[in-house]
Amino acid sequence: MATRRAFLASFLAATAAPGLSWAAAGNPAYLAAAREADGGFALFGIGRDGQDCFRVPLPARGHAGAGHPSQPIAVAFARRPGEFALVINCATGRVTHQITPPEGSHFNGHGVFDTEGDLLFTCEQRAADSEGFIGIWNARDGYERIGEMRSQGIGPHDLRLLSDGETLVVANGGIATDPETRDKLNLDDMHPNLTYLFSGSGAVVEQVTLKPELAQNSIRHLALTPDDTVAFAMQWEGDAGMAPPLLGLHRRGDAPVLAEAPLGDEFAMDGYAGSVSFSGDGSSVAITSPKGGRVHRFATTGEFLGAVSRSDVCGLARHRSGFIASDGLGGLIHIEGSQTRPLARQKRAWDNHIVELDQGHRPT
Amino acid sequence: MKHLLLALCAAFAPLPALADTASALDDLILPGFDKFESATAKLSAASQESCLPADVDAPYQSAFDAWMQIADLHMGPSETRALSIAFWPDARGFTPKSLSAMIADKDPVISDPEAFMDVSIAARGLYALDMLLNDPRFSDYTQEDYTCGLVRAIAFDLHHQAAALQSEWRENFAKTLSRAGGSGNATYLSADEATRALYTQIVSGLEFTADTRLGSPLGTFERPRPKRAEAWRSGRSLRNSLLAVQAAYELAQVLANQPLPETSLAMDKVTEAASHIQDPSFQDISDLQARLRVEVLQQTVRDVKEAIETEVGKPLGIAPGFNSQDGD
Repeated sequence: MATRRAFLASFLAATAAPGLSWAAAGNPAYLAAAREADGGFALFGIGRDGQDCFRVPLPARGHAGAGHPSQPIAVAFARRPGEFALVINCATGRVTHQITPPEGSHFNGHGVFDTEGDLLFTCEQRAADSEGFIGIWNARDGYERIGEMRSQGIGPHDLRLLSDGETLVVANGGIATDPETRDKLNLDDMHPNLTYLFSGSGAVVEQVTLKPELAQNSIRHLALTPDDTVAFAMQWEGDAGMAPPLLGLHRRGDAPVLAEAPLGDEFAMDGYAGSVSFSGDGSSVAITSPKGGRVHRFATTGEFLGAVSRSDVCGLARHRSGFIASDGLGGLIHIEGSQTRPLARQKRAWDNHIVELDQGHRPT
Repeated sequence: MKHLLLALCAAFAPLPALADTASALDDLILPGFDKFESATAKLSAASQESCLPADVDAPYQSAFDAWMQIADLHMGPSETRALSIAFWPDARGFTPKSLSAMIADKDPVISDPEAFMDVSIAARGLYALDMLLNDPRFSDYTQEDYTCGLVRAIAFDLHHQAAALQSEWRENFAKTLSRAGGSGNATYLSADEATRALYTQIVSGLEFTADTRLGSPLGTFERPRPKRAEAWRSGRSLRNSLLAVQAAYELAQVLANQPLPETSLAMDKVTEAASHIQDPSFQDISDLQARLRVEVLQQTVRDVKEAIETEVGKPLGIAPGFNSQDGD
């Protein structure tokens, strides 16, 4: 803790500007980007009832967002290869900062604020060799870049901060891509991993890899329980007939547990998980496959619980004691056990992810 | 599973009223499941009579014909059941491995229909039968052998699955489709979503025929893969492709509920191209001329798909899925 405090103190201004709270942006529970009916793009704040709380136009298709823990600030990342991310005041709709990765690097999907909202961590990769980095930005004052650390893998895509507030867990997807075309360059020689990093120094705390026959299973998206069980969702880059598991669960110090559905269900996912989330009550975990049009639910011990069918479903987050799923048809679906219920349908295509705003810091 | 790759959906133009989900269900899809149920009932009964390949072949072929009418509908109860009825392609060779293991162990599961439902899906359904009835590694059995009981168990289970599928479609999923947009329907939030879902099956099915049913055995020019043809042991490879294309065409017709002249012309070319193919199992495609004839057929199937996209998809305002086409 001392290390991190010292690290912060050396960079951050002593006082934070008194900010607005998320109430000023209509008390959204979630952030999600979408393509609108007219072909334009926007970031939305969404309430627990599935209705819009705010809408901010985006200049291009977004991928994921990060929500500030207390202030109505969202960071919207451009699609890979991300040339920029926009820091948006969701109460005013104003873009307050545009942040760009260092020359020769690009953002690679996701980012996350630290517990207090002082720092923003971003997944980045070096264009030349797809080497992964975590960018560190001063979110308290001006979004200056104040550091970086190696992600300890190729093509990091998603990251989360553990409950200690200082350990990052990073999904290094393992796929080297052409910076211009996004063509995948190393599918026969992938080494994805799940890496825990000390955010203050970039030191590796723990690194998890799967057995060699699953090396083509790109570890891409993460979800976390309050007590730091990590769920990682994967995308299979190997032979289409393999139907490998697409969800893993990990606790620090333990071996990873792979969650596998019956073969017929696994095939129906088409080797692709787009998002992962624990349920609101923490008793289950689910992955989505837009390619298969399915949501697979598992117990936190890895047993398959069931499937939900929904075309082009991709975004997934906690909702009440279950889940909320978003899709390319504009639907928001509430999933509670094996029961599903439509929450809303808008004339827009929800993008890959729906990001829950941090409960603990959100005014109720 | 390429046919699952393409979930066409996500566009917002209202659909013209002529898109006819109800007719698609009542005239084509539900009767298709009925026919498959009765064909598999006959197959199961015949196998009890005699399990020998020569005696089972005719009802087996009829059941497979009935299946091809509904094989490419991967929605609702068929989403997973299509695989336990038709486990193909089998890149990892699950089917021969599972069958060999059961035979070697004389696995008693074949005398317990309930327990048989938990057998690996690779050892169930039409392709497991295809191998037992036609592959010399298995087909040389007598009425007294374990394999005979295995054939009967698979046929019995197949009929059980067909009956379950029929009732799941009739009792439940048909309502989910026809009551799209109704309150509490979290699968289809509007009527046009149901139409799009059916349309997606047509297009995905045609892609699967072109890319996998025909594409797998074609392999590459340097390395053709005739043993990857679908149901080649029973001589059904070409027939399956033609039946699948015909089923897609019929579904497109009833869904569009209007003449499809371009698609109809494209269908004629499929028939023409197929008439030139000499080996219905595609086992001759290492020969350049034979390969070329399958490639021509493959192209005509792609042309049918394009014609349907033009004559059915575009008027319905259906564009590719926002997330499923993307990957991130």
